[in-house]
Amino acid sequence: MLEVADLTLDYPDFHARYTLEVPTGALCGLIGPSGGGKTTLLHAIAGFERPTSGALRLDGRDLLPLAPAERPLSMLFQEHNLFPHLTAVQNVGLGVDPRLRLSGAQQRDVDAALQRVGLKGLGGRRPAELSGGQRQRVAIARALVRKRPLMLLDEPFGGLDPGLRREMIALVDALRRDERLTVLVSIHTPEDLGEAADLMAFVDGGRVLAAAPPREILALGWQPAIDRYFGR
Amino acid sequence: MKLLPGLAALLLILGVVTTAFVGLLLAAGPEPADLPWGYVASVVRFTLLQSVLSTALSLILGAAIALALARRTSFPGRSLFIAALNLASVLPAIVVVFGVIEVLGRAGWLGAGLRLVGVDPGAWLYGLPGILIAHVFFNVPLAARVFLASLAAVPGERWRLATQLGMPPATIFRVLDLPVLKREAPAIAALIFLLCFTSFAIVLTLGGGPRAATLEVAIYASVRFDVDFARAGLLALLQVAICLTLVLPILWLGRRPAESAASGVTAARPDAGDRRVRLVDRIVLAVGGLLVLPPLIAVALSGIAAFASLFAADVGKATATSFAIAIPAALISLLLALGLAATARALRGAGRSGAAGLMSVSSGAILAVPPVAVSAGLFVVLRPLADPFALAIPLIVLVNALTALPFVLRQVEPPLILSAERYGRLAASLGISGAWRIRLVDWPLLRRPLLAALAIATALSLGDLGVAAFFGSGTILTLPLLLYQRLGNYRIAESASVALLLALLVLALFLAAQRWSGETLARSR
Repeated sequence: MLEVADLTLDYPDFHARYTLEVPTGALCGLIGPSGGGKTTLLHAIAGFERPTSGALRLDGRDLLPLAPAERPLSMLFQEHNLFPHLTAVQNVGLGVDPRLRLSGAQQRDVDAALQRVGLKGLGGRRPAELSGGQRQRVAIARALVRKRPLMLLDEPFGGLDPGLRREMIALVDALRRDERLTVLVSIHTPEDLGEAADLMAFVDGGRVLAAAPPREILALGWQPAIDRYFGR
Repeated sequence: MKLLPGLAALLLILGVVTTAFVGLLLAAGPEPADLPWGYVASVVRFTLLQSVLSTALSLILGAAIALALARRTSFPGRSLFIAALNLASVLPAIVVVFGVIEVLGRAGWLGAGLRLVGVDPGAWLYGLPGILIAHVFFNVPLAARVFLASLAAVPGERWRLATQLGMPPATIFRVLDLPVLKREAPAIAALIFLLCFTSFAIVLTLGGGPRAATLEVAIYASVRFDVDFARAGLLALLQVAICLTLVLPILWLGRRPAESAASGVTAARPDAGDRRVRLVDRIVLAVGGLLVLPPLIAVALSGIAAFASLFAADVGKATATSFAIAIPAALISLLLALGLAATARALRGAGRSGAAGLMSVSSGAILAVPPVAVSAGLFVVLRPLADPFALAIPLIVLVNALTALPFVLRQVEPPLILSAERYGRLAASLGISGAWRIRLVDWPLLRRPLLAALAIATALSLGDLGVAAFFGSGTILTLPLLLYQRLGNYRIAESASVALLLALLVLALFLAAQRWSGETLARSR
């Protein structure tokens, strides 16, 4: 279980206080207006932002004292997930050893991860030689080889076509089922999540205003803020 | 009709440069066998040696300072340090020479300190050491500024990724920093090399004699002292050939697209907290501070101490002459730039981007044929027709206008392009054209860049020593010439006030340009 309890962040122009529970192995979609605090929540969980108070636990383990690299999670961003001068294999390899000193077995892990995400034979290509979807697949492969139980995705497929977005969501969904990953994904178009999401959290004004199964969140009249967001 | 301003500007630029070039060819003559090839070879060798060393030192220290500043985003005095770097890169070369002599010269701070312990430092500064120190003083800030801007443009996501992956500092350097430095290094190295290769004031004053002469100084000496036009022509042609081979790669490298800017807020660098990295950064920043700050402080302190000498008659006369040259030069440069930019815009609008590019690139003709080479060529061509010294002021104005042109164009061309991109179709659809379009559409975007361009061109011309020395030495007196003469006569205290005055004038102009253009102080010397 991922537990976010009164996790508070204070900025000169923004105050956030999050509470959210995501069961282990669940896929939770974060929705809400731009500037509402979805990315801040993900960054706080990843350790890029420092909360002033509150609790953050994964399966009972306190994550707050841990440095970002020590946290049991991998994060994908919308852009710039890859280093442009490194090949796909090297970019994935960074997830195994940040110094890129890989043993034979580790190399095989990297190749297997690339195969899992459908990039067999493309490991020697640099990001510029890959399509947008392929680049995100490389980043997902790196998350796989890191073998961390929590995956955070910050609008990772925003730049892709609708069909490709759903394809990528399906890939993430399949991987989380196979690997028993807990996934938090912030997304602009909730319908892309389809049946994949177990949970949907509506974030606005630095608060999780609602967290429930998607059908309930999407239902008319659940919360005025959600209705406003959907333009109803 | 829209082609006329650009074509007229192009004709003038190419006319002056071609005339100078033909003059050099005529001067070099058909029988180069009589020329002192040994001397020419030694001049070329020394020019290349000091340029390579200056470039290498500037790049290494500039990159180290940029990395240290990128990692240390907040320390007491950071803004001051960056301001000092910016200031160092815009001071006239002759002022920097004064500052370096005040600190490291025999009678300077170092000399005084060494004499206290019974050591006479001698004239160690004059020759290669002094040239390298002054060049590094100028070019380290330039390299640091370019590298720092590129490092700051690394997307925040990459730093977060490096943090998440737990990359150690060495890997961060290899994976994140080094590619940025490698990407920027060729263009900045070529530019620094070119600046050092054509450096005049520094080599003339700190070279210490013919042993440490560069092509630029040797051309000057051939014309002014030895009256050997054949040698001057040959040296200038050599210089043009080498500069041309450098300018083309610079133009090509300058067109290379940079990585897209960061998409989000810049993130903290994970290597900033490492104890060893912190120590290295402190050492680098201390070395950078020791290089840049003392000459600046020396110029300020010595100038204030010698404030009274500022009221001498020759200072007033030199100031007036400097402005009498700088203001017309700036106005001519601005007119040429506006002509080129307006025509380039019209050509781009007509889908002729190649011809438009030629307009923009032609402003850099002076980079290929440096000011002293142009001066030498014009001198040779004019000599049978008129007394070049009698035409000193118009000639200096003309060459200074061409020298400032690339920097002026850099200010005025982007807003003209922007106005076409943003409002071109709208203006056309509404029937807004001619002077009304200039007033309604272009002027609001162009007003501040025009002022900035004028300020930069005036500052560049105020700081010129090379062209003024070529045509004007003995007949006219500008502030840099006055400073050069006083330094040559060991009138250090009187030099100090002129150095400070010149520094303040140039600084005020660059600050005004910065305010108008919204850019940081840029090296445009």
